[in-house]
Amino acid sequence: MDTSANKSLRTFYWSWAILTAVGVGLSLWLPHRYMPEAMSNDAHLTMTTLILFSISAAPVAAGVYAGALHILRHHRYTGDGVPPPAPQIRENTKILVSWITASAILTVFVLVWGLGALAAENNSSSSNPLIVNVTGQQWVWTFAYPGTHVVSNELYLPENREVEFRVTSVDVTHGFWLVNMGVQVDANPGVITTIHTTPDRLGVFEVRCEQFCGLNHAFMDAIGYVVSPQKFSSWLASQPARA
Amino acid sequence: MTTTLEHAATTAQPKGGGLARHQNFGTAIVAGVILAWVGWFLARHLFWSSSDDWSDQVTVLTITGWMLGFWIGIGAFNAPFQWLLGRDNSREDNLYYAGDQQGRARYWKYTTDHKVVGVQYIIVTMGLLAVGGILAMAIRTELITPGTHFVNQQVYNSFIAIHGMVMILALIVAVAGPWGNFVMPIMIGARDMAFPRLNALSLWTLVSAAVVLVGTLAVGGLPVGWVVMGTIADQAGPGMDFFAMAIVIFTVSTTVASINLITTIITMRTRGMTLDRLPIFVWGTVITAALALYAFPFFFIAEANQIFDRTTSTSFYIAAGGGTTWLQANLFWLMGHPEVYVILIPAVAALFEISSTMARKPVFSYRTAVGAMVALAGLSAVVWAHHMFTSGWAPSLGGPFMVTTELISIPTGIFFLVLVGTLWRGNVWMKLPTVWMFGFIFNFIVGGVTGIYLSDIPLDEQLHGTMFVTAHFHYIFVGSVLFGAIAALAYWFPKVSGRYLNESLGRISFWLVFVGVQVTFGAMFLSGLKGMPRRDASYSFAFEHTNFISTIGAYIIMSGMLILLGAIITSWGHGEPAGPNPWHANTLEWQVPTPPPLENFDVLPVITEDPYHFDETTVSV
Repeated sequence: MDTSANKSLRTFYWSWAILTAVGVGLSLWLPHRYMPEAMSNDAHLTMTTLILFSISAAPVAAGVYAGALHILRHHRYTGDGVPPPAPQIRENTKILVSWITASAILTVFVLVWGLGALAAENNSSSSNPLIVNVTGQQWVWTFAYPGTHVVSNELYLPENREVEFRVTSVDVTHGFWLVNMGVQVDANPGVITTIHTTPDRLGVFEVRCEQFCGLNHAFMDAIGYVVSPQKFSSWLASQPARA
Repeated sequence: MTTTLEHAATTAQPKGGGLARHQNFGTAIVAGVILAWVGWFLARHLFWSSSDDWSDQVTVLTITGWMLGFWIGIGAFNAPFQWLLGRDNSREDNLYYAGDQQGRARYWKYTTDHKVVGVQYIIVTMGLLAVGGILAMAIRTELITPGTHFVNQQVYNSFIAIHGMVMILALIVAVAGPWGNFVMPIMIGARDMAFPRLNALSLWTLVSAAVVLVGTLAVGGLPVGWVVMGTIADQAGPGMDFFAMAIVIFTVSTTVASINLITTIITMRTRGMTLDRLPIFVWGTVITAALALYAFPFFFIAEANQIFDRTTSTSFYIAAGGGTTWLQANLFWLMGHPEVYVILIPAVAALFEISSTMARKPVFSYRTAVGAMVALAGLSAVVWAHHMFTSGWAPSLGGPFMVTTELISIPTGIFFLVLVGTLWRGNVWMKLPTVWMFGFIFNFIVGGVTGIYLSDIPLDEQLHGTMFVTAHFHYIFVGSVLFGAIAALAYWFPKVSGRYLNESLGRISFWLVFVGVQVTFGAMFLSGLKGMPRRDASYSFAFEHTNFISTIGAYIIMSGMLILLGAIITSWGHGEPAGPNPWHANTLEWQVPTPPPLENFDVLPVITEDPYHFDETTVSV
């Protein structure tokens, strides 16, 4: 390889490194800037996963972009008429094997992390979760707390206690989504689906319908509060009985 | 319609045949409307009007009448009917049906010549893109600020469903339709498709299905979202019958087309065109056709069940009758994920072809590229439930479906290696097809990486159902597939029209669409990250800025697409003449004259090596 080719390859590696750095920077900044405030163990895991996957994707994307830039800079034909034939390279086993190996390693990493996170989400840590019965109907959410008389359109949850949501619908399929908790599940008529999460931060959060459910789908929201266990008990006690 | 009729009458040399020689799109519409009325009339009087299902029964029978009438009116039954009478077409008849010496009139007819069908597919694709694009602009205009102002929720909800399905149809045929029909048979050294009449049948069946699909807008719309989930679809009006029947008819079209493409590629290759000398676009076409043949019947069953639920007393999807909406979701996504690769693979295969010609180098690692397409098609059949991670169906299958889904990144990664590897150290000719190809490479990375997030269940439980998903698949469909389709159009346009697609207009269009895609869907990722659900006619003020930016970006895309449309129309008639082989490529479609004569070759060529040898003799052709 002559020196000019070596020089041009050096700029390829430099642009690869710079683009990777840009990608890593974006991975660290964007999720924190734009994702809703994380208020449960699952939401924290979601944020970490998003950042981690973005960082591991950065060198791959940057490599392809640096390659494309390199081609545009050094292999663009600038003469008139038809370009002359290029080197007739058909295979390069070394490149092929290393590319496939690298993508396989990244895939395995993403899989192992993802399956681990999935197991962590499914693993119920508490033997005494708070149970909330969630019912979707066009276009309102209703929350019932079994063992009490309370039925509400606002969702109150105590801090640091696992909650199990048992979700159903009386009409069409809705999507029960706790925006700040990073969990969602469909509400289907005739069946009960469950999700659980542990709120770990006090504050107000949003409940949205994320499965298209007809005319007023866009307005099928509810408001939620994570409160201290004492406040939660007094809220339960203060609720009027519903017929 | 009268002008084309007169044109046909003056230029053709009808030898008997009478009525059959005057059939075209106009007579098809007339016959379709008449039989639709007959179906409507019969259904109103045959069925019990007190039944809940009565209006659906009437609608379904009306559309059935339309389909039958359209087929009869266009002439789809002429040849089978002749066989029943014990007659066969003469050589003159066959030449006539192939559109021999009929000028432009042949494009409005049941013409069997594969090149005519290819051009018809270009027109149909552009028509569908126009309808879907207008709806997209209406959607983005509605979303420019929070609150509902431009269209009401009912109309908005219809628009998102029709936009979705029309665009899916457009992209399914965008590459495989025009080029799988126009250039593929020439590429393999065949005189036509294996079943030329079925070729015409698949095209015109698609047209009649598209009419029914767009017709939903005239009967109260389809306010149920394009995936038409079982329970919500049950509440919809006659628009739902239109949609389901459109899909049933559309599936007939894709099945016929797939069988035709597969048979052609297996049986019609010229001497010496062995499988390892096949142009890689032909590989892409046959893999796509096989995948479509597998996938679309699921859609047929999904919507046929829907029709039965609505018109008879079945309850496949109705919980109160023992059914489940998860059945619909499974059938829909059994089609829905392979369909994504039915859309993607032809575009990628066309880009492999283009990258080789434009870089003056062989396709890098040809066998690996074919293997990656096969692997992608195979994997796509076993990943469908990743669309249902948050549906509550079979939680214990989440892990396995996550594994199959993430394996997809390996063959997808190979696509990048092959494209970049082919261009690497090439003498890259920066013409219009190359420019759009670089746009594809940029956008497909963004779409691909964000797909990995969504394949991860803990992440999907946050991002599913949000604008993040919408942005992800628009980077694939608009940023990647549409860019690939436009590259393919720019590449093969000279073979169709004899002229180049206008280079400077094409480049202006490229920059507008490229920038527009980043602005629109880049901002849409942020809306989704912030937690904005899809399919919402209105949204909270938290999403105000990103939505405003997306809408501006959408207008930029629209202006770019309009300029491209202008370039296509002006270049077709008045562009710079291109000659038979403007790119100095080796594949067979460039070795025949432009326009290619009926039946393509005087003498069928014999192939001795693959088309990817570029040397000085190629240059001086």
